[in-house]
Amino acid sequence: MLMIVLRRVPRLLFVVVAVTLLTFILLELTPGDPATLKAGLAGTPEVVEELREELGLNDHLLVRYKDWAVDALQGDFGESVVYEDVSVSSRIRSALPKTLETMILAELMAFAIAIPLAIRSAQKPGGWVDRWSSAGSFGLLALPSFVLGIYMIFIFGVKLDWFPTISSDLPGLFDDPAGNLRGYFLPSLTLALNLLAVYVRLLRTDLIETLQQDYVMLAQARGIGTRRIMWRHVLRPSSLNTLTAAGLNVGGLIGGAFIIEVMFSYQGMGRILIEAVFGNDYFMVAGIVAILSVGYVLVNFVVDILYSVLDPRIRTVDA
Amino acid sequence: MRKRLGLLFWVSAVYIGVLVFLALFRDLLPIRDPDALGIRTGDCRQFQDPGWNSYFGCDNLGRDLFSQVVHGVRPALFLGFTVTIVSGTVGTLLGVLAGFLRGVFDRVVTTIIDISLAFPALVLLIAVRASFGNGIVVFIVLFSVLGIPGYARIVRGASLSLSEREFVDAAAAMGATTWRIVRRELLPNVFLPVLSFAFIGFAVVILAEGGLAFIGLSLDQITWGKLINDGRVEIRDHPHLALIPSTVMFGTVLAFNLVGDGLRSLVAPREVATARRLIAEGSHQPGEEGAVVHVRNLRTVLHTPGGTVEPVDDVSFSVAPGESLGIVGESGSGKTMILRSIVGAFPLADVTRGGTVEVAGVDMLRSPDATIRRTLGTEIGTISQNPLTALNPVRRIGDQIIEPMLVHGTRSKQEARDRALELLEQVGIPAPEQRLREYPHQLSGGMRQRATIAIALANEPQLLLADEPTTALDVTVQDQILRLLDGLRADRGMALVLVTHDLAVVKGFTDSVAIVYAGQVVEYGPTAEIFANPQHRYTVALIRSMPNLDLPSHSELATIEGAPPSLIDPPTGCRFADRCPAVQQKCRDESPVRSGTDAHSYSCWFPMSAQPVEVS
Repeated sequence: MLMIVLRRVPRLLFVVVAVTLLTFILLELTPGDPATLKAGLAGTPEVVEELREELGLNDHLLVRYKDWAVDALQGDFGESVVYEDVSVSSRIRSALPKTLETMILAELMAFAIAIPLAIRSAQKPGGWVDRWSSAGSFGLLALPSFVLGIYMIFIFGVKLDWFPTISSDLPGLFDDPAGNLRGYFLPSLTLALNLLAVYVRLLRTDLIETLQQDYVMLAQARGIGTRRIMWRHVLRPSSLNTLTAAGLNVGGLIGGAFIIEVMFSYQGMGRILIEAVFGNDYFMVAGIVAILSVGYVLVNFVVDILYSVLDPRIRTVDA
Repeated sequence: MRKRLGLLFWVSAVYIGVLVFLALFRDLLPIRDPDALGIRTGDCRQFQDPGWNSYFGCDNLGRDLFSQVVHGVRPALFLGFTVTIVSGTVGTLLGVLAGFLRGVFDRVVTTIIDISLAFPALVLLIAVRASFGNGIVVFIVLFSVLGIPGYARIVRGASLSLSEREFVDAAAAMGATTWRIVRRELLPNVFLPVLSFAFIGFAVVILAEGGLAFIGLSLDQITWGKLINDGRVEIRDHPHLALIPSTVMFGTVLAFNLVGDGLRSLVAPREVATARRLIAEGSHQPGEEGAVVHVRNLRTVLHTPGGTVEPVDDVSFSVAPGESLGIVGESGSGKTMILRSIVGAFPLADVTRGGTVEVAGVDMLRSPDATIRRTLGTEIGTISQNPLTALNPVRRIGDQIIEPMLVHGTRSKQEARDRALELLEQVGIPAPEQRLREYPHQLSGGMRQRATIAIALANEPQLLLADEPTTALDVTVQDQILRLLDGLRADRGMALVLVTHDLAVVKGFTDSVAIVYAGQVVEYGPTAEIFANPQHRYTVALIRSMPNLDLPSHSELATIEGAPPSLIDPPTGCRFADRCPAVQQKCRDESPVRSGTDAHSYSCWFPMSAQPVEVS
């Protein structure tokens, strides 16, 4: 078990390093000079040159990357070159919880709806629940978050006026849970509906396959009730593919978060990244990309470990 | 069999055809100039609602939304098409090579896929766009690069499993070069999955453009994404501006997905399993006193998508406590289905059972669900053919043994645990304490079969159903398991039904035997009597095909020529007629009636005891 965890670490580190280094190279290619930006209107050539030196921009790309990485490991991602006296970490600290909350809510909503739907569909394939949920998930797969979000805003925000459509100044989760959750409801639901479609399809197929297994028929032959068979015997061995999808979807969720945060106007990771890229905010971009890629890699790492928790066979087999 | 693609597929295909037409001939169509300002020309008012003047309404400058949407078709399709071709081709090649060559090449490709999945594509898009502008070529290159990993991943998976298949091995063994194998064996086999994924990938490209437009990074021409993004601002007062292009985009993506899905259903047939319902026909006839299991005129019909199958046709037998019955037949003769029909556990299909199945006095076909479940759990123990699939791989052995006791409330948790230990000892599993906590994969095949026997015995059943309990095991283990079952039957006075294709097992371990052929019991009687005095020609053939140690070692082993008939459409007359050495015209015309005595019955027009017949 521990071996499986340890064996994956070098690969994970490699992916994180590659992604952040790639970001550095891309930033290098992007036109615009951070030092000129930081200097602003007072940017005489001398001041700019001084700033270049100070920011280390005159060093070789790899040297700069190394310096940045060493600082970043200690939690210091540098300063914004656009905003005066704003550290990258402080921006991330305020943005990350918002993005995380929407993503976690979205996953929870997606699973809360997908699991019962998939179970119902698998128990009666071709029944009306199955047919409607298949058709529905097919439709949802064709709805990108920016289209879905527009529908959501139009129906729940404008026509019905049930939920706020702008989530910029939301109370904290712990100060006013109801107000906070109400504000994040629409953005999370928008993300959730896309995930939902994937989960229902995968889980349904795997459930049906497991239901055909000998051990399920033997459980029936032992007089064990349908519900118990489904939840205790079938769900767990059927959940591996869905779990993988949940891990991979985090990438999609990050992409979705960009759109959702713009649409519902709140300052999450996606929105500040877009701002930073447009504003050529060098260290801001590097810091945000680093956090996002580490997050993605970590989630998939956890998925791998959950795998072996769910399926004991994986624990002993060399992965 | 040709599969139907369905109405939705063709509607989608036609819709895509219309889009292609619009993309090609947009400049020849009688529509307004999408950039003409209606408020200036007077053609269209600001924010005019959809109507006859302008089908989709007009925007804040009076531009006609319909012609804007039509003009957006070309960039969407062009982008989708070129990107799909480029990334599909490159991704497929990489995937095939990675899956086939493996080794270093595979590791490099999978690492690149990992990295690209972890990298926020948006950063790349923004950076490249900022450096190279917003021409369509920039977008094509970017989206193609981003699309490659998706194709590579799918194709790699498919090639990995393909390259383990026999035909690839065979080609390699015949000295085909790598390139030839890739081209002739692998590529044709991944073509259809890739094609179906390409339609979905096409849709993804259209969406990606929309997403980019959404954050203000689109092409230098009218696109759907741009229209949606511009309309979004007016969602409160003039919702048509955002809703119409969104819906067009949604419809397009849906159409591409539907076509892709239709193609996929050609490769991997959609499973058409229907709900599993158990239907009972006819009426119950209580059995004689003293029998644990009593089956009379049992008829089982499976309603599968491929047709109706009748694997059990008019089967009767009963077994008293402490006795054992062997059910013998070739594979596919329906002998397993007889056991399944007793316990009512089938794969997904509607099942109709008629006749009588009575276990411990309970009508197993028509009683209330709870009664049937209780009887199943406390009076019947089932052992299946393959111990490797009979245990749930993700649950501990202990939990699986304890479960029937807890579910049916026969013991408390502590008692159930103690009993589980006792059971494991009884079935001969060493170190039972430790085994309780282990998972099935940690046990050998023989040990697993012992564990399933322990589960079956948990609630001290009166009836033990064993479906070829030893076929999947080593020869040395087979005898141990059979002796164990036989000992348990004798000690506890259980009735044992033993399904097997092995007459030697029947001879050694059963009191009576039912010979099954094509879903029917063709001969039934005490084991000793059947072996000494077989009546049905099939029984005779079976006994002759037994290896006999008394014969000289070089004597030829008799085999039965031909194969049993299909159960989907069984022939009229005697089902064994085609393979019978003593067949007469009567056999083909009329089904034989059951004859002989109650103790020894057989269904044959010309049994062994009758006048010898001319063998033509």
